[in-house]
Amino acid sequence: MGAEGGVLLREVTVRYGRRVALEAVSGEFASGSLTAVIGANGAGKSTLLAAITGVVRLAGGRVECAARRRLAYLPQLSAIDRDYPLSVAELISLGGWREIGAFRAPRSALRQRIAAAAETVGLSGRLERSIGEISVGEFQRALFARLILQDATVILLDEPLAAVDAQTMSVLLDQITRWHEDGRTVIAVLHDLDLVQARFPSTLVLARRCLAWGPTEAALPAMAV
Amino acid sequence: MMSVHALIVEPFETLAFMRGALVACLALALANGALGTLLVLRRMSLDGDVLGHAVMPGAAVGFLYAGPSAAWLSLGGLTSGLAVAALAGLIASEGARRDAGLVAFYLVALSLGVLLVAWRGSNVDVMRVLFGTVLAIDQRALIQIAAASSVIVLAIALLYRPLAVGAFDPAFLRAVGTRMPYGAVFQALVVLGLVASFQAFGTLLAVGPMLLPAAAARCWGLGVAGSMVLATGFGLAASVAGLLVSYHGNLPSGPAIVLAAALLFGFSLAAAGGWRRLEPMVR
Repeated sequence: MGAEGGVLLREVTVRYGRRVALEAVSGEFASGSLTAVIGANGAGKSTLLAAITGVVRLAGGRVECAARRRLAYLPQLSAIDRDYPLSVAELISLGGWREIGAFRAPRSALRQRIAAAAETVGLSGRLERSIGEISVGEFQRALFARLILQDATVILLDEPLAAVDAQTMSVLLDQITRWHEDGRTVIAVLHDLDLVQARFPSTLVLARRCLAWGPTEAALPAMAV
Repeated sequence: MMSVHALIVEPFETLAFMRGALVACLALALANGALGTLLVLRRMSLDGDVLGHAVMPGAAVGFLYAGPSAAWLSLGGLTSGLAVAALAGLIASEGARRDAGLVAFYLVALSLGVLLVAWRGSNVDVMRVLFGTVLAIDQRALIQIAAASSVIVLAIALLYRPLAVGAFDPAFLRAVGTRMPYGAVFQALVVLGLVASFQAFGTLLAVGPMLLPAAAARCWGLGVAGSMVLATGFGLAASVAGLLVSYHGNLPSGPAIVLAAALLFGFSLAAAGGWRRLEPMVR
């Protein structure tokens, strides 16, 4: 991965109606960095990821991301309808969107990559199950397999470790570490501060505004204030 | 005792208006199976209902301008339906207030439409726009219905993947850089389907043949495409059953068809629910 994976925020402001969700957040996620985004409930963490993705409209400021076309986004689990009639394999195959787009059929090379991604997250035996039948942890693994298939330069994760069992957590953390080692830019919204301290080199502390942003050791104390 | 032939085949064999109604219902069932399934999966049943009534004021203006002409009713209905779909999109982000907003649209559209039609027309005209006239579909209206249904089926076949994905994970489409507003395209297709349905079922019932067969099909745990096929089958069955019941019982046909579809929904809920209880827990 080259240097194009950086994400630059300039005075990013988002409003929902009259409520200000994010106010003038500026800074840069360096290309290839692994950053935890932390803050209290309602601090604008999910909004920040949605703003970078382009899912919400900015009320002010700019997001500069050269790799916008190579960006992958994991929404919060609650944002996805799990009653939807879809098999695990079909869900993962959507990660090949850049190849298959809206109209083309998946080729055999893509099917092999689906099987490989499923194996990486430990879902090989579950491919034909419907997404409503598998556990929350398995569903999150399937979404990670979709992200693996997307092969993105910038990866945004909204609470990737919420409500998953310990074994799933270690599988997912290993994958996050692998993405970091590949040189991809990874930005993850998290709640577990011990985990942030142990595994994430950089941290952004949000409370609608940016309270601290930098090496985790230096930024974490801002969370206690 | 009546023979099966006399009971089921003869009404369609001997009466042109029964055949016309049957063909109209078949064309509508094809479009409604696909549209209704996506509507149910998107959890937009209320939106469908509101859009069904949104067709009303425009259709009423068309009626004032040209009398009960199928073309002008449809054109007016399409215009006001699309306008309300766009307005509903503007209030889309406001959770609880959205419900109230949609219901307000529904009431305003219905009242305005009835007032406009009653102003120049008779009670019969009011009943026509409220409940439709599936037994009085002329050839021109039939061609309109068939054309609208064809457009809908082709559009959904073409845009199947983004429409299906957008229904359960819309942020994904946005993140992979899709610029096309598929949600708006889908709403436009729903309005088109409701306008086609409006001739046969009126503003109050138009959403019934779209929603009920799809809701019934959804009970059986099939995939998206399978649900669409089953919903179409349910729509066809409800149409034939409703038309025959209305013929033999001398009852209004639109409500009979909608009730037949509702029975299928009730049966599916009970049967599929019972089946699920017999299955071992998977989760």
